[in-house]
Amino acid sequence: MIQTTARNTAESNHTSYNNDYMLEVSQLRKSYPKKQALQDVSFSLKAGTSFGFLGPNGAGKSTTMKILTGIVQADSGSVRLLGKEATKNPDAVSKYIGYVPQEITLYDKLSAYDNLEFFGEAYGVRGKMLKQRIHEVLTQTGLLDRAKEEVGTFSGGMKRRINIAAALLHRPKLLVLDEPTVGIDPQSRNHIFEMIRDLNREGVTIIYSTHYMEEVEALCDEVAIMDQGTIKAMGPLGELLENYGQKAIYVEIAGAHHLPEDPDVTAVRKEGSGYVLETENLHGVMQRLLRLASQHSWDVKQLEIVRPSLENVFLRVTGTALRD
Amino acid sequence: MRAMIIKELRLIRKDRRSFFFLLLMPILFIAMFGTIFNSGGGDSSSISIRTIDQDQSAASQAFVKQMQGIMDVKLESASSLNDQVDKMKQGQFSAMLVIPAGFEKAMKEGSPADIQLYQDPTAQTELAPIQAILSSISSQYREQKLTDVLLAKGDSKEQAEQALASPIQIKDVATTSDHISYMDSMVPSMTVMFVFYIMITMARRFFDEKKTGLLSRIRSTRVKPLQYLVGMWVPFILTVIAQCVVLFAFGHFVYDVKLGDVAALTLIVLSLSICGTGIGLGLSFLVPGEGAAMVITQVIAMGGAMLGGLWVPSYLLPQSVQTVGHFLPQYWALHSLQNIIAHGAHLGDVAGPALILLTFGAAGLLVAFFRLPGFLRSAAN
Repeated sequence: MIQTTARNTAESNHTSYNNDYMLEVSQLRKSYPKKQALQDVSFSLKAGTSFGFLGPNGAGKSTTMKILTGIVQADSGSVRLLGKEATKNPDAVSKYIGYVPQEITLYDKLSAYDNLEFFGEAYGVRGKMLKQRIHEVLTQTGLLDRAKEEVGTFSGGMKRRINIAAALLHRPKLLVLDEPTVGIDPQSRNHIFEMIRDLNREGVTIIYSTHYMEEVEALCDEVAIMDQGTIKAMGPLGELLENYGQKAIYVEIAGAHHLPEDPDVTAVRKEGSGYVLETENLHGVMQRLLRLASQHSWDVKQLEIVRPSLENVFLRVTGTALRD
Repeated sequence: MRAMIIKELRLIRKDRRSFFFLLLMPILFIAMFGTIFNSGGGDSSSISIRTIDQDQSAASQAFVKQMQGIMDVKLESASSLNDQVDKMKQGQFSAMLVIPAGFEKAMKEGSPADIQLYQDPTAQTELAPIQAILSSISSQYREQKLTDVLLAKGDSKEQAEQALASPIQIKDVATTSDHISYMDSMVPSMTVMFVFYIMITMARRFFDEKKTGLLSRIRSTRVKPLQYLVGMWVPFILTVIAQCVVLFAFGHFVYDVKLGDVAALTLIVLSLSICGTGIGLGLSFLVPGEGAAMVITQVIAMGGAMLGGLWVPSYLLPQSVQTVGHFLPQYWALHSLQNIIAHGAHLGDVAGPALILLTFGAAGLLVAFFRLPGFLRSAAN
């Protein structure tokens, strides 16, 4: 079983480096002329983690990823990849990291094959190995039969798949994906999800940036919530939901126009044909509701614990809705 | 770097706009100038003049026949004088010759026989050769008259010819062993002018790479900044070499343009390629956008063509312009190409101009080298 532990080095005040970590990011700062893009961003990933960066546009996700991949220089802080300082080992960065940018960065006038050949060689893969890898990634993307066609003729989803494939040719140990599913159809999105899950199962560490909660929930076992250049919360998905998710019960009673007051219920809101009751005492409130229903012969159609959502976590951590 | 070069060559091959600017346009220009100026080899038979013979005599017809041996004479009816004058005012032609009634009679009487040359004062350039031809015919008539007088005085034909011979004789001495045609000068001029249009393609490619995020992505690979720069540059050098080869081959096979010493020609083509693309590199990293690059390229290509003697021979330009021309790569490129083609220059003779062209290219490369980090930073953000 792959150990998947992210730690917030800033919170734990952990300054020494550990070779067990695939990636250790410490105190990253970056500012642009009119904006502080990152402020003391720190986190560490063990090999095999599928790590999600969740945050709205402008939160600092892309800047973080560009620093990790050596495209942008941080003002201060450090990035260690497999125990080595990344800025001093740029070759290690390009060798071990595959970067999928937010934009579709392919040559429209070239075929899918020619695009992959270019990026493969740019990553240092040559000869027979390159041909074999191109064949493999085209198979992975389901586009082997379209290899010789110009990328410009592809649909958005197909381009996105080739966009990812271009970062896989050198068998990276860490795959950094910056919002790789923007503007594509559900079928292509599912295909991409499957590709990422397969890669993660093969041991590739994933960093996945998105502003879609459902994508993080579907793909990631570790999450960092970013807003305004800082990591607001970070940890295993279940832990975040447990710590920050609002506990609630959904109840639907036929003919009930209002519910009796309960001292443990902090808020009630109408949702569909029933009510959502927010409470920290889930079992106590449910027991009392069932007792009342039995006493008054209410027809209880539905009574269940509401699963805390990442959206709710985000709202509680940042104080704003994600898509604001 | 190999990957960069192959990728860029593939992209250039598929770029229709580059094909238009680099090959189609110059071939069209060469073909157009070739058709207009080369068909008659530059002789006076391509000069035409409308003529109205109001005398309709044997003498007037002999005069017309003599003109027809030298230029294209379009005879109009005697009554159409006013119509023809109106047409000339409308700019349909620039000169017209009228042989008035009484031409033959005046000749027989020994008094001056007038011929009227109607002319458009705004078309002096076109009129000059016509006036020269008419003056020559007039001289022939005068010589004939003098010969007749000498023969009448009892001189022999040889004595008469000797008496009329000019004390000055002009002999044509060609500075090359072969005959040089108009196209031998036109093809190098057009080639040099259109080489500099590669700068538009170069600037467009660099800004595309930056705008689309491709440059940023390439930076996450093993390609180093200098490899990127050279990897982008080399395909354009090869493209310009191919452009020159196609244009010279077109000139050679279609218009029989002489190529001279191929080794010397190769050196200049290579130097010109490095020069044009080197300046293109520098420009791409200096200007704020593709639009500015387009404008500056036009200024460099057209201005350089004008001042460098690509349109009008340098020696016909004012001295100050000639001096400015010496600071332009177009001048040195054309100068050396003409030396190879027209004067049989060899490698050693064009080494100097080649070095000057390479210096221009190196200057552009240097600018690009120093501007590259800023360009990469702006691409990343």
